[in-house]
Amino acid sequence: MTNYESNLRALAGLALVVCLAATSAAETPDTPEHVVGDNPYPFDTADPRVEKGEAIELPDEVADKLSLLTPEQVEFLQSGDARPFTGPLKDTLEALDKRTPEEVRAWVAAMQEVHSLSRYDESRDARNIPFNTASQTFNAWRTLRPRSMDPPREDGPVALGRYDGYGGPPTFGSLPLALTKADLVAGEVDVAIIGAPLNMGSGWRDSGERATTDLRVYGWSIGSNDQYVQVNAGEVLNIVDYGDVAVDNFSTERSMQHVREVVREIAETGAVPMIVGGDHSLEYPNVAALADVYGKENVSVIHFDSHYDAWWGGVHLIGHGYPVYRLLNEGHVRPQDYIQVGLRSSGPDKAAFEWMREQGMRYHTMAEIEQRGWPAVLDRIVAEASEEGRKLHISFDIDVLDPAFTVATGTPVPGGLTMRESVAVIRRLCSEANVVGFDLVELHPGLDKTYTTTLNSAHIIKACLTGIAMNREGKTAPHYLSPVASEHAIDDYYGDQQQYLDATQAEKDAEEAKKEAAQEADAETAVEAENEAAAGEPDGE
Amino acid sequence: MIERQAMLQHVLIAWAATLLFLPGPADAEWNMPDAIESRLGDLPGEQQAFVSSGAIIRLIPATQLEHEFATRDDDDLRALIGDLMTVSVELQYDPQRDMGAAPLNLSSERFNVEARLTPEALRDLEREPGPFSVHRYLYPQSGVPTFGGAKVAVWPEDLVAGNVDVAIVGVPSNMSSGRRDAGSGPDQMRALNTIATPDVQSLIKPLDVLAVVDYGNFAINWLSTGLTSDHVTKMVAETAATGAVPMLVGGDTSMLYPGVAGVARHHGNASFGLLHFTAHSDADRDSDHLLTDRQAVFRLLDDGVVDGADTVQVGLRGPSVDIETLQWLRDQDVRYHTMAELERRGADNVFRRIRREVNRGPDTFFVSVDVSVLAAADMAAAGRLTSGGMQIDDVVNLIRHVCAAKDIVGFEITDLAPMMDTSLVSVLNSNAILNACLVGMAVRKAGLTPDYVHPLALDHGQR
Repeated sequence: MTNYESNLRALAGLALVVCLAATSAAETPDTPEHVVGDNPYPFDTADPRVEKGEAIELPDEVADKLSLLTPEQVEFLQSGDARPFTGPLKDTLEALDKRTPEEVRAWVAAMQEVHSLSRYDESRDARNIPFNTASQTFNAWRTLRPRSMDPPREDGPVALGRYDGYGGPPTFGSLPLALTKADLVAGEVDVAIIGAPLNMGSGWRDSGERATTDLRVYGWSIGSNDQYVQVNAGEVLNIVDYGDVAVDNFSTERSMQHVREVVREIAETGAVPMIVGGDHSLEYPNVAALADVYGKENVSVIHFDSHYDAWWGGVHLIGHGYPVYRLLNEGHVRPQDYIQVGLRSSGPDKAAFEWMREQGMRYHTMAEIEQRGWPAVLDRIVAEASEEGRKLHISFDIDVLDPAFTVATGTPVPGGLTMRESVAVIRRLCSEANVVGFDLVELHPGLDKTYTTTLNSAHIIKACLTGIAMNREGKTAPHYLSPVASEHAIDDYYGDQQQYLDATQAEKDAEEAKKEAAQEADAETAVEAENEAAAGEPDGE
Repeated sequence: MIERQAMLQHVLIAWAATLLFLPGPADAEWNMPDAIESRLGDLPGEQQAFVSSGAIIRLIPATQLEHEFATRDDDDLRALIGDLMTVSVELQYDPQRDMGAAPLNLSSERFNVEARLTPEALRDLEREPGPFSVHRYLYPQSGVPTFGGAKVAVWPEDLVAGNVDVAIVGVPSNMSSGRRDAGSGPDQMRALNTIATPDVQSLIKPLDVLAVVDYGNFAINWLSTGLTSDHVTKMVAETAATGAVPMLVGGDTSMLYPGVAGVARHHGNASFGLLHFTAHSDADRDSDHLLTDRQAVFRLLDDGVVDGADTVQVGLRGPSVDIETLQWLRDQDVRYHTMAELERRGADNVFRRIRREVNRGPDTFFVSVDVSVLAAADMAAAGRLTSGGMQIDDVVNLIRHVCAAKDIVGFEITDLAPMMDTSLVSVLNSNAILNACLVGMAVRKAGLTPDYVHPLALDHGQR
């Protein structure tokens, strides 16, 4: 680069700074918390669940063994910090007994080294993972395509196919596509399904674009008629495919802010965001976005998962094992507004369970289901989630299902829910509770050479869409099932034939009445329009 | 007031956009079509400068731009160019808006990967240093899988005590920019126990000649290539310092950087050549990250770890190989060999050229193989799978030759994503690639010529 060029570029940099200052001055500072620049994480990070080791006092008899230690080293050996290495007093004495003073010195020095390396040291360790901020394409991954690059069109969902919307490139359930907030508003969209191809799970990694693409290619059932309740979500609701949200698959932390912005954008229109992932880190931006819109501590979360995802204390602040802790830590959700279902992995341990209980978090483990039976637990879950005033987000990690149904997930754990149980609970929650958000995560199609896992994932999404449609139709009675679909009623085998016949007739009557009312309303509107047109006509020439 | 601010902002964005996108070498090659040039006068001054700089075609394909110039009225055209200028500014980092570094948990009690290494004084078991077998039987059929069925070493002192020639070590990073399963690579290559098979040309059994160990895995940080890279660099340097040649089994190709940098930390920067088999140039020069697979080679050259003139790339094709990248590689003196060259000149001629380049290069070489170099028929499980590519026999022969002709300071195989291949072919061929270098090194140690063929293998000798 010539001097001339580099000077000009420096000038450009200056212009950029001035320009951005002007930009930020012009906008109202309404940005929710996220880290900018190289700032640290603004919330407390200490994990209250970490138990400090107990200090011990070494008896005078071992003074010889300690003779080569510095006073600091003796203090360290007696402090709680040494317990993970030496165990309680008895074990420590045994260990001292079999070592020479020289060996004791090396032993304690090694502990101190590991202890120090385990913790952040300002003078030694970087406090963050820097990005290349000098890049000319720093934001390329999430830069929006200007609308002016495509031919002008009206705002609103776009059907991609030429045959009544069908026959185009695959979208979720062959639904129309929306790309902007204005599209959602113009289309009066009820539910926007968005892919989030975050591929940073800790198990098998293939939950990125393969998952969102496969759900588009194989997710035919999304938004179709539900035989059990005789509700067709695609007819009752305006549902769109909202494309994929951009993620940075080299940094979960960096992806969070943009996912949160886009989910918030959906929720602000009043539509229910349905996020299809992607790894479970996504629960954090999804719920934070809902809290941005509905207010902190105003959203409840029901978390279906074999894992409790409230781990903490690793070097990173977000990963697919920590979204729950981070949401609680930042105060988006109150612990008592968290409900967990299906837990059965090796954690949480006893201390973590006790912590959850103290916090007021409600959990329903597979142990509870084994003990009480699914129907009882199902009723309890739905009752908790439907409590008055709750705005509910459902976070559905497909590993809550038994691996028989979801081979293709990053961290499968045997012994989970069946599809029959899962579809029922999701349909019930989405119809009986006030659902404002939903995500389905951890689908890794590469692990399943059949399409079973994708099929099952699509049916979970469909169950929620059906439920939301039922809710709009007023079908919110506990565990509603269509009376005609659930009983042929040709004989009185169960002794309640008449009940089913009556219920079927009642539904038919109600539908007729509704249809008539709608026709009357249409007629009235037509008359009004005619009158208005007549009133507005010019007097004539 | 707001209007004035908006105007000021507009002017400043225009100014910044124009200056930031001064024509670079690539832009200079853009000859503005007449259809665009003839309408430039309809645009405001700063928009004219933005268009004529050529910077605009980074944001919109030239053919589409021409179409827009031909069909839009003045207002629509100005709106489009204005939007693109705004985008060009928004692409840049803004410390008030963008995260410039991902913060870490400073309260963590598992902060550094290094803390997971057990210092000698804290090890439970006392044993004399040296590689040891994991088998109960003298002629084991199965059991704990190790690379090539080799003995196991855990600490550098094991390598020293065993006078180990080659330490095969897994680096199960899983951050490929393609399909991800490279983290399973090391264990799958161990499980399919086909390394250390005798070579049909030299009839040498590599483990009879070389002291080879399975050196376990180096720890990775599952969410950061940067944190992983620091640790792996240190561990590779420590391994090389024992005199053993580190043979790294990835892991995704971002680990090419710490593999080579670790060897260089011991042997010296630019002291050895790099022979890199790959479909992907990995020479991304403007990434928003500091280390990914797509920029591993760029980083090695840019940091001076290897010299461009001592770097040979073989098998290039696919999405990253464009005019700017090849020009950049040429400017760095890199010897690159694309699939186009192989097709036009004939594989044999190109291989002869590569051998000559390697033979005339430094005395010592690092050989790195991104499995994407192979044709999909031989390697369905490449994380960054790319159509076309080399055949397994060609790659194996070339590697065997180079590992026999040169002193090898390091070897690495990367981006095997076993999940993508339900057959065993991809893992089988990955093992064959690793074995090819082992055989080559054994041939060299045995004092044979690089392309030695045993007469029994070449001809049955019957009349």
